[in-house]
Amino acid sequence: MGAIPRFATVLFTIAGICVALLFMLPVIWMLTSSLRPNAEIFAHFSPLTWQSIVPETWTLSNIVGLLGTGFGRSLLNSLIVTVITTTLGLVMAIMAGFAVSVLTFPGRNVLFAFFVVGFSVPFDAVAVPLSAQVREVGLTNSFFGLALAGLGNGFAIYLLRQFFLGIPRSLAEAARLDGASWLRVLWSVYLPLAKGPIIAAGLTLFVFQWQAYLWPLLVATDPKMQVGPVALAGLVSLSGVIDFSQMFAGALFLSIVPAGLMLWLQRYFVSSVSRSGMTG
Amino acid sequence: MRDRFAIFGAKSQEWLVGLLLIVPAFLALLFLRVIPAGIAVWESLHQRSFFNPDEKMFVGLDNFVFLFTTSPTFLKSMLVTLVFVTVTVAVQTVVALMLALLFTQRGWGMSFWRTLVFLPITIPVAVSAVVWGTAMRGDGIINAALERIGIPAQPFLASSDQALWSVVIIASWIGVGYWMVFLIAGLRDIPDDVKDAAALDGAGPLRTFFSITLPLLKRPLAFVVVANTVANFLQFVPAAILTQGGPENSTRFVMYEIYTQAYVQGDVSLADAQIVLVLIVLLAIVALQFRLLRSKE
Repeated sequence: MGAIPRFATVLFTIAGICVALLFMLPVIWMLTSSLRPNAEIFAHFSPLTWQSIVPETWTLSNIVGLLGTGFGRSLLNSLIVTVITTTLGLVMAIMAGFAVSVLTFPGRNVLFAFFVVGFSVPFDAVAVPLSAQVREVGLTNSFFGLALAGLGNGFAIYLLRQFFLGIPRSLAEAARLDGASWLRVLWSVYLPLAKGPIIAAGLTLFVFQWQAYLWPLLVATDPKMQVGPVALAGLVSLSGVIDFSQMFAGALFLSIVPAGLMLWLQRYFVSSVSRSGMTG
Repeated sequence: MRDRFAIFGAKSQEWLVGLLLIVPAFLALLFLRVIPAGIAVWESLHQRSFFNPDEKMFVGLDNFVFLFTTSPTFLKSMLVTLVFVTVTVAVQTVVALMLALLFTQRGWGMSFWRTLVFLPITIPVAVSAVVWGTAMRGDGIINAALERIGIPAQPFLASSDQALWSVVIIASWIGVGYWMVFLIAGLRDIPDDVKDAAALDGAGPLRTFFSITLPLLKRPLAFVVVANTVANFLQFVPAAILTQGGPENSTRFVMYEIYTQAYVQGDVSLADAQIVLVLIVLLAIVALQFRLLRSKE
C-alpha cells in the first residue's frame, strides 16, 4: 500500500522538474549568452553540444559595456516610471476598493462595475487617440505621462475589494464607535489586515507597467526618456549589425527586476488569487 | 443622546467619504478610457484633409465602409487576430490545465517548480520577443536542436506559413504559467470528499477527471478563456519587433494594423475607426468576464 503512492510522488516530482526546466530553458540560455563573448554565441550550434548553452569563457564585459551606453539610463527611466505607476495605482485602487466594499453610498455597485469593466479594457486599445491628447497638454516625454499606461488596473481594484468584503464589518463599526474617522478605519483597521492583497495588486501594477511597450513608443520621443523595453528593441533593429551579447545582457537586466520581485513575493500573489473568489 | 449623534454622524458622512475616495479612480477612468474612446468615435466619423490636418470633414460611416470593402489590410488583420487568439487561448488553456493537474499532486518542491513555470509572465514581452526571435533564427539554437534529432531546419518567423504559429509558441510560453495559477486555485477549491467519494465508488482517475473535476472547474476555466482572450487580442510587440506584420501580412495583428495606419500611413481617422471596432469587441468580452466574476456573489 505504502509503496505505490511513494512511486507516484517520485514520478510527479520528476515530471514537475522536467516541466520547470523546459520553461526555464530560454531564461537559462539568455543568462549564459549574456555572460559569454559575442563570438561564442552562435559558434556552437552545429552540432548542438553542451557548449551551446555553457560558455567556454565567462565574462562580465557585455553587462559592463551595456551600462556604458544609453541603456543604463533607459533602465533607470523604467524604474522611475514603474515606481510612480505602482504607488499612484495602488493608492487609487485601495481608495476605490475600500469605498465600493465597505462604505455605502448611492451608485456604488454601478461604479464598481464601471471600474472593473472599464479598466479591464486594455490600455493599448485607447493609446493612439490618447497620445494625441497627451501631446496637446505637454505630457510627452515626462515621467508622469509615461506612467499613465498602467495606472488604472481592474484586477487590482477587484482583488482589494474582494478582500475588504471579507473583513467583518463589526471591526469597522467598533472603531467608528470609538470615534475613528472613516479614513482612520481604512488606515488602522483594513490596511494592516490587507498586506497580502496589497502586495499582489502592487506586483500586478509593477509587472504590467514595467513591460509597457506601445505607450512609451508613442509618448517618449526623446531618446533620453526612452524606457528599457523600447531601448532593447532598438538594440536589435536599429543597428545593422546586432551585438547579440549586449542584447542578451539588456534582456537579462530587464527580466531580473520583475522576476526577482515575483520570486520573492509570489506566495502573496498566489494566495490572493485563490482567496479572491475568482475561481471558486 | 451622544451615541445617537455619533451614529447619525457616521451615516451622513459615509456616502460623502465614499464618493471622495472614488474620485481618483473615477478621474482615471474618465481620462484614460472614456474620453479617448469618445475621441476615437468622433474622429472615426470624420476625415482629415491630406494637405491641412487641422481641417476636418464629417463623413459619417465612410471610414467603416472603407475598412470593410476597400482596405487592403483591415480584414486580413482581423482574420489574423481571430486565428491567433483562438489557437493561443485553446493551446494555453489545455496546457495550463494539464500543468495545474500536475502541480496539485504530491511531490517534492512542487511549489518551487510551479513558480518557475509561472515566471515567464513577469519577463517583459519585448525580452521574450528578442530572445525567442534569436533562438528561432535560421542559424539559431532551436534549429540546432532540431537538426540534432534529425529534423531539417525550419524558417519559423521568416516564413508566412510558420510565423503566426511561432508567435503562438512565444505567447504560450509567456502565458501558460499565469493561467495555471487560476486553475490551481480552482482545483484546490474542489472539496477532497467529493473526489474521495468518487474513488470509493470505483471511479478511475480519468473518470473522476471528466465527471467530477472538469464540471466543477467550469467557472475558473471560463474565466481563464475570457481573460486570456482579452490579454491576447491586442498583441503588438512580436509583430513590431520581430516580423513587422509579415511575412506577407501573416502576423499583421489588429493592434499592429492600427499603429501602422496611424503612424506610417498617417491616416488617423481610419486608425480611429479600427479602434472603435476593437473597443466594441473588447467591451463585449470584458462585460462577459465581469458577469462571470459576479455570478457567484
